[in-house]
Parts: sequence; structure tokens; C-alpha cells
Amino acid sequence: MKRAAALSALLTLSLAAAQKTATIGWSGAITGPTSDAGASYAAGVEDYCRYAVSQNTLPGIKLNCVVRDDQYNNANTQRNFEDYVGNMNASAFLGYSTGGTLQLKSTIQEVKVPTLPGSYHIGNVDGADSQYIFLPISSYSEQLVSLVEYVAKKDRGAKIALVVNPSPFGRAPVDDVRKAAQRLGVQIVDVQEVGGNNLDNTALLKRFESAGVKYVLNQNTAGPVANILKDAKRLNLLGKMQFMGAHYTGGEDLTRLAGDAANNFIWATSYYMFDEADKPGIQLVKKIGAANNRKPDTIRSVHYTSGMLAASIAIEAIRRSKDPSAAGVYKGITSMTGSRAFNPGFTVGPVTFSAKDHIGAESLRLLQADSTGNFKAITGAQRSAIFPLVHPLK
Amino acid sequence: MNLDLLPQLLLAGVVIGSIYALAALGFVLIYKSSRVINFAHGQVIATGAFIAFALTQSGMNFWLAGLLAMLATFALGMLIERVFLRRMVGEPIISVIMVTIGLASVVDGLLHLTPYGAGNFSFTTPAALSGAGIDLLGTQLSRVQLAGVLAALALLGGFTYFFNRSTMGITMRAVADDQMAAMSVGTSVERVFALAWAFAGLTAAAAGVILGLMSGLTLTGLAGIGLKVFPVVILGGLDSVLGAIVGGILIGVLENLAAGYLDGLVPGGGTRDVFPFIVLLIVLLLRPYGLFGTKEIERV
Amino acid sequence: MPASRFTQTGNYRVRYTQDQTIFATYAEQLSLLLLIAALFALPLILPRAWFPYLTQIVIFSVAVIGLNVTTGYTGLINIGQGAFMGVGAYATALAATRLNLPFYLAIPLGGVAGALIGTLVGLPSLRLKYLYLAIATLAFQIIFEWGVGHAPLLEQGGVIKPPTPQAFGVKDSFLNHNVFWYLVSLPVLISLALLWRNVLRTRHGRAMIAVRDNDRAAAAMGIHPGRAKLTAFLIGSFYAGVAGGLFMYFQKGAVIEDYSLGLSVKLLAMAIVGGLGSLPGSFLGPLFIVGLDRGVELLSQSALLGRVTAFAEGVDVASALRPFSFGMAIVLFLMFEPRGLANWWRLTRLYFKRWPFKF
Repeated sequence: MKRAAALSALLTLSLAAAQKTATIGWSGAITGPTSDAGASYAAGVEDYCRYAVSQNTLPGIKLNCVVRDDQYNNANTQRNFEDYVGNMNASAFLGYSTGGTLQLKSTIQEVKVPTLPGSYHIGNVDGADSQYIFLPISSYSEQLVSLVEYVAKKDRGAKIALVVNPSPFGRAPVDDVRKAAQRLGVQIVDVQEVGGNNLDNTALLKRFESAGVKYVLNQNTAGPVANILKDAKRLNLLGKMQFMGAHYTGGEDLTRLAGDAANNFIWATSYYMFDEADKPGIQLVKKIGAANNRKPDTIRSVHYTSGMLAASIAIEAIRRSKDPSAAGVYKGITSMTGSRAFNPGFTVGPVTFSAKDHIGAESLRLLQADSTGNFKAITGAQRSAIFPLVHPLK
Repeated sequence: MNLDLLPQLLLAGVVIGSIYALAALGFVLIYKSSRVINFAHGQVIATGAFIAFALTQSGMNFWLAGLLAMLATFALGMLIERVFLRRMVGEPIISVIMVTIGLASVVDGLLHLTPYGAGNFSFTTPAALSGAGIDLLGTQLSRVQLAGVLAALALLGGFTYFFNRSTMGITMRAVADDQMAAMSVGTSVERVFALAWAFAGLTAAAAGVILGLMSGLTLTGLAGIGLKVFPVVILGGLDSVLGAIVGGILIGVLENLAAGYLDGLVPGGGTRDVFPFIVLLIVLLLRPYGLFGTKEIERV
Repeated sequence: MPASRFTQTGNYRVRYTQDQTIFATYAEQLSLLLLIAALFALPLILPRAWFPYLTQIVIFSVAVIGLNVTTGYTGLINIGQGAFMGVGAYATALAATRLNLPFYLAIPLGGVAGALIGTLVGLPSLRLKYLYLAIATLAFQIIFEWGVGHAPLLEQGGVIKPPTPQAFGVKDSFLNHNVFWYLVSLPVLISLALLWRNVLRTRHGRAMIAVRDNDRAAAAMGIHPGRAKLTAFLIGSFYAGVAGGLFMYFQKGAVIEDYSLGLSVKLLAMAIVGGLGSLPGSFLGPLFIVGLDRGVELLSQSALLGRVTAFAEGVDVASALRPFSFGMAIVLFLMFEPRGLANWWRLTRLYFKRWPFKF
């Protein structure tokens, strides 16, 4: 037994001398709830890793990306995390769900493995135990507060309703939106939770109508939002109410599901759109997608780009520190500040992190779907002015 | 309370309720003939809907695809009965329930082997249904909804007629009434069971296609309807076709009334998801055999 | 008295009190003690990577014993055991965060909370039988999930993290987490299993079995079926509550997704696969289902499946295999071995008991 252990230790040592290994593990919903986004996200992570290997981005380091399905089940996420960190000695963890990331917070703090979640929940990087968690782009809260700012500028005193997913993911920004609305002089008249399986939204929309709601903010996945939009179209409410939403509500998925009911939907996100073909990041997405024979639907999905962003940040961090350990990744990530900001070209602004700044590409744009369902920018890259006041990060 | 909303809520409730009724019909057919509670009904609904979707994706006409999907689940129902349920005749209730729960998982797994296991999909609305809807009672009904309600009512009416008039329907009722007596006069109980499952499959596909057309297709969403039928069938009566219709529409309406009038009072709302199950508990305590079911509860 | 107290050479029981004994021979007693000692020694032998699964097996076994009390021994179909675990988990989490109780006090409190709510949910069993009761427990499961999602006190289903537990100077940490909770859960399981084995030979235990086999006959014998049913719910949901408390710590926080209908179904499957109404089955069922899940996971991570390209993109064979194999296990056991793994266990024991004198 002892001899075997010594032998294996020797083997590992000699291997390590030859080539260092960097393991990056992703755990998310390839199947199960929210898998429409998760499957593309996973593909993005996987394909970017392949690209980095083919480009020899990390000379002398063997890059090992592991992508596993947790079916949106937190228990599976934890097992995967334990396996990555405990057995595979992972240098970085790429997460996905809000619940899974929140549950892992104290463990992440304990093992000091930098984590980039797919969930842009502000609570991931707020308060205790968040030293090693980094959001790739701005939080849901900031996205929605930006939308509230947009409404307030256009229509002071407007009545807004908030529709959120019945989960930590959906509820995350409610308080911040309320506070922002109060500061900006608009009213949040109703907050309702609507999940998948919303077969009929007549009652919801009619109540909004009778309450005089003119703007409906959504924090949800595309499926439920599409059903709300389709019902709003049927009830002739699309002209009376402006529907808007945060990162996971919009994009290709929404257009595909809601058809022309998605027209005019306003969407807040930090990513470039697929049809912005002149952007180098989008060109890269197309190139990598084609090289891996992905379906056109997958490549067009913004979640494919999101997966790439998360993987690219982790890989860039290792490249910078030349150290494939968790400490090296942390050093690499926190070096992405000022002139050393990282700009892979997927987002409208550069990715900046430091020991204090745990939000990567803070800049975001508001986009509106045109009559063909393509999202076109209606603002430039911007940051919410009021958000730091509404939710100061400790 | 805003009474202006009332007619609109009622109407929307009837629309969604008739789909529930159609989904519950298959459930009742199976229970009525073979006393089996089918936890896999939601998965059969999803299978039917995805078969139709796959066929339209390959370029087939929507109506033809829907029809073929109904035939496919007709066969699926028969298959499930023949392979799994027939062996369970005479086994304890918990075993029979658990077999259907196991089957639900198996069908789930099989659907995951298709590209439809994960993600959101939506039918391309056929031309005949994509035009403007009608205004009724101050609310708007789309053509899809109208067609859904009409199809559901037609199927429900057809089955009521079938049970009351056709020889096979009467045979099925006879078996439901007393298996032993029906067998002794020469009825093939096996054939009745097989047909009940087949018809349940057929109506499930119809419900699945209508739901898919109205609100898109997701495996979890469609399979979730399999749970929604419980309040419907308990309220209506587990073994009553009329009960499924009335129960379905009542639950649809109650759900909408909850969404219209209770959501504002409960922080976060979403009462429509839980209200039917509270109704279920109340019905179970006061009148477990439902509005139209056979009274057979014994107390100890 | 048997001719030998060391090996069983025949049935020499002549009194009821002898029939109530748990162990027929010293050999049985000894082998159980050895087994328990071996279980405690496992952390010294097995690699750390096994313990996430072993701990799950131990915790689920607690809940499955409870489910067997209601469903296996008393015949009350319960599709809400997962929600009872959830009640225990949330009560434990609240006790740990609000009352600052250490885990060894918070978890029993979770059990008590589970028992209270479980008995309340069991009340309809006084009127309802079989299917209807099953549907009532299903309704409770759904109402529970909705209720937690709307309770600000419970973080609306978001995570409630208890403070890091500590026992005998050892702190629960990333590296020892699974072994820590294995060693905490194992004595809980053993004592609760022994407790139930002893309840089973009291009049309460016998009353439950009588009610299951024929409640009218039981009533005629002077048993109060209603009381027996409520006792079954009380005990069964207490076990679920304790399991929930343990699982909450094991999961590092209470989150509603952990206690969904899926968990209830999983527990029922474990009880069925193990063998309804059997104590060894309550351990074998979780062992089988957790093992099956892990096996499928390993299979899907192996290079073998990774190379399967017969399926379209967006198809994850592993994700399909999980529910498929789980469902198939339930169906096949019910069709071909309705008495579950416990029956295999019984046959194996029988073989060795008579060995080498089989005939």
C-alpha cells in the first residue's frame, strides 16, 4: 500500500516535471431546467478550450477542460465540484446555476479556487465568502436597473411591473429594482413570479393592464417570457406595454419561441450580437463554431458566446501567471485591471477584474428587437449610473 | 376586487380548462377500466407532442403530423399496457403506481435520446390558425385557442358518445363496473384494457399538440401536465368522463380566478400553481369520490 | 431454548416472547457487531472519493426506513417523503442559524418538526385509503414546494447556510466533509434502525402490520386503526425529518430544489427496490439506487460513451441513461422481484445458514 502510494507520487512528480496540467471544470444544465441556455453554454466552454489547445495558448501546459451535466441539480453540482477540486486538482471552476453557486460559496472560499459562474446573480460576489467568485459580465440587478433608468428617462412616473422566475435566480434583483425605482421616480406597481409551464397569462396581463402598467420588466428564461409575449400579442397589449428583460430573457431563443410577438422587446446584455459580423469576437465565435461543426442555432445563441467568455477568462489568467494552480488563476484574473484589462472581443466593454472588482465586463447595451426579430443596439456601451448607489458592494 | 376582469378570467379559464379536461380524459379512461393511476400520462402527452413536432420539422403538414402522432401514441399506449401493465394485474396498488412512475422515468430517458429532451421548441403555426382571433366578452381569443377548445370538446364529446352508445364503449363500462361479471359473459377484459390505454395515448397526443401550439414545447412543461390532471380528476371523480370535463373546466377557471384575484394579495403571486392542489385536498377530505365519481370509499 | 445458542439447528421457539427476540443466535449478534465495526472502519480503508456516495446511502437509508414505516409496514402510500425531509432540513437550518444550535441539537429538532408536520399530513389517512391517500401526500409535496418558495423566512427556497459544524474538535471542511458526515450519519442510522426494530416488536409495531394486512380485521381485534396509522406517520416523518437535517448539512445548506417531488419518487424507488416492509431492504435499496446512479455517471464519463456519435447534437447520452436506468430498475424489480433485494439477501443468508448441509 505504502509502496504503491510512493510509486504513484513519484509518477505524478515526473509527469509534472515534463508538463504541467491545468484542469478547468464546468458543471451546468446540459439537460433539465434551463438546459436550452445551458447546452449552448457548455458547447461554448468546450469549444473555446479546444481552440486554445489548437492555438497553443498555454505553451508547456496541458489544458484539460471537463464539461459535465448536473441537470440543474445542486447536489450534482456539488459532487462535480468536489470531483474537480478534490480529485482532479482543478485550477478554476466554471459554474452555471444560481442556487448551485450560492450553495458552494463558503466551500469556494475555503478551497480558494477561482470560480466564474454562468449566473450573474449579484449575491455571488456580494458579502462574505465571495473572494474567489468573479462574474464574467454585469449582474442581473445592474441589467434591470439600467432598464429602469431607461424607462425613467423616457417616462417619469411610469408604472412598471416586474415578472420574475420563482427561484433565487429570478428573485435576485427584486430589491435592487425597487430601490432604483424609488430613487428614479418611477413606480413598481407589481412583482409577480412566473415560471415555466405558464400556459395562460391572460389573468396576469389583464391585471397589469387594469393597474395601468406600461412597462413590464422580466428576469426569467426565454421560455416563460415568450409565452407572456404571445399572450400579450393575442390580447392586443403589445402596443400598450413595453416588455423588457435581463440577459437570460432575450436573444435568439426569444425570437425563435415568440415569433413576431418578440418584436420591440428591449433587452439588456453585455454581449455582442451574432449579426454584428464586423466585431472580431463574433468572427472568432463563427470560426470556432464552424471548426467544431456546431448547429447554426447553437452558434447563433448568445449562450455559446457566454460559455466562451467564461473559458477565455480562465485560460487567459493561466496564460498571464504561467501558473496552472488555483493561486495562479487568481493572480491572473486579478491582474486584469487598468491597462492590463482583458478584451477577448465577446463583450461591448473589456473584462476588468482586481482583488476588489469582481465584475468583469461591466458595460452593457440595451438592444431592441426589430421587425425581423434581430436585436439592434439602442444605446451605446454604458454603465448604470445609479446602480453603485443602489447596491454598494462590500 | 375588479369585477370587470371577471368575464375575461372565466373565458380564459374555460379555454385552458378544456385542455386540462382533454389531458384528464386519458387518465380517467385508464382508471375507469383498469383501476390504474397512471403517473406516466404527462410523458405520453410529451411524446405525442414531440412526435408531431419532429414530423413537422421534416416538412410534413401540421394536421397530418398531428394525426400521425395520435396514431403513434395510440400504439404506444397499447404497448405499455401489453408489456408492463398486464403483468401487474392483481398486484398491490403501490406496485402498480410505482410501475407507472418508473415508466415515466423510462420515457423521460428515451425522450432525452432525441434532440427534444432539452430545450424549448415551438410549432410553426399553420396558416389556417395564424389569422386574427375573435373578440369575446372583452377579451381576445386566438384562432389557436379556439381550435384547441373545439378539438378538445369534439374529442370529449366523441368519447362520451362512444361510452354511451357503441358496443365497445358499453363493454368497457361493463368491465369497469365488474370485471368478474363481465368476464363471465364472455367479454375480453384484456382487449378492454388495451383499448383504454390506446385511447388514453391518442387523447394524450391531442392534448400535447394543442398545448404545444399554444405555449411551446418543453419536456418538463408538457410532462408537468401529468401532475395538473390530479386536481382535475379528483374534483371530477376518478372514474367519470363527465367528471373529467367538468373538473377540467372548473380547475381551469379556479386557477384563473386565483391568478386574477389572489395573486395581488400574496407576495410574489403564482397562486395558480398551488390553488388546484388546495382544492384537491379539500375535495379529498369532504368528498373523495369527486363530483361525479362512483362512491366506493370505505371508512375505518 | 434452542439446542445451541451459536448456530441455528432448528426452530425451538415455544413462547411468544422467544418469537419476539431479534437475534436467534449469538452468531447473528456477532456478525451484526462485526458489520457495524467494519462500517465505522471504512474511512480508513476506502479512498475519500467514495464518501460522497456512501454518505448519501446512509442518509437516504434513514429516510427510507421512515418511508417503510408508513408505506412498507403500515400500507399507507406516501409520495411526500421528500417534502418531509425538506421540513426537517428547513427546521434544522432555522435552528442552526436563528437559535445558533449546534448540529447535534438542530438535527433532532428537524426530526421533531418533520414528525409534527407529518402527523398533520397523515390526518387524512383516517378517512382516505390507498390511492386517495397517495394523492393527498402528492398534493402536500407540491404545496410544500410552493410554500417554501413564498416564505421570506426560508429565503424563498434560496440557500440557508448553517454555520460550519464542529465535533470532537474536528471542523467540517472541504477535505473531510464527506467523511465527517458519514461518521455523523452512521451512528444516527444505526440507532434509528435499532429503534425501529424494537418498536416493531411492541404492540404498536404489530398493530401497524395488522392494519396493513387488513384494517377491518385489525379493528375487530381491538386495534385502533386510526391511531396505528397516525403513529406510523409520526415515526415515518420523524425519520424523514432527521434525514433531512443530515442531508441539509451534507449539502451545505437548505435549498428547495433538493426536496422536490423527484426526491420523493427516488425514496419510493429505493424502498421498492430494497423490498417494501423490510429493514435490510431499507439499506440495500439506497445502496442499489445510489450505486446505479454513480455507475451510469461513470459509464457516461468513460471514453466509451464519449465517442458515441450516432446521436444528433444536443443529445447527451449520459443524461438519457440516468432516468432510463432508474425507471427500468423500478419497473424490472416490480415485474420480476417484487420482494426486492431483501429477498435476495434472505436467500443468501439462508444458503449460508445451512451451509454446508444444504439439501
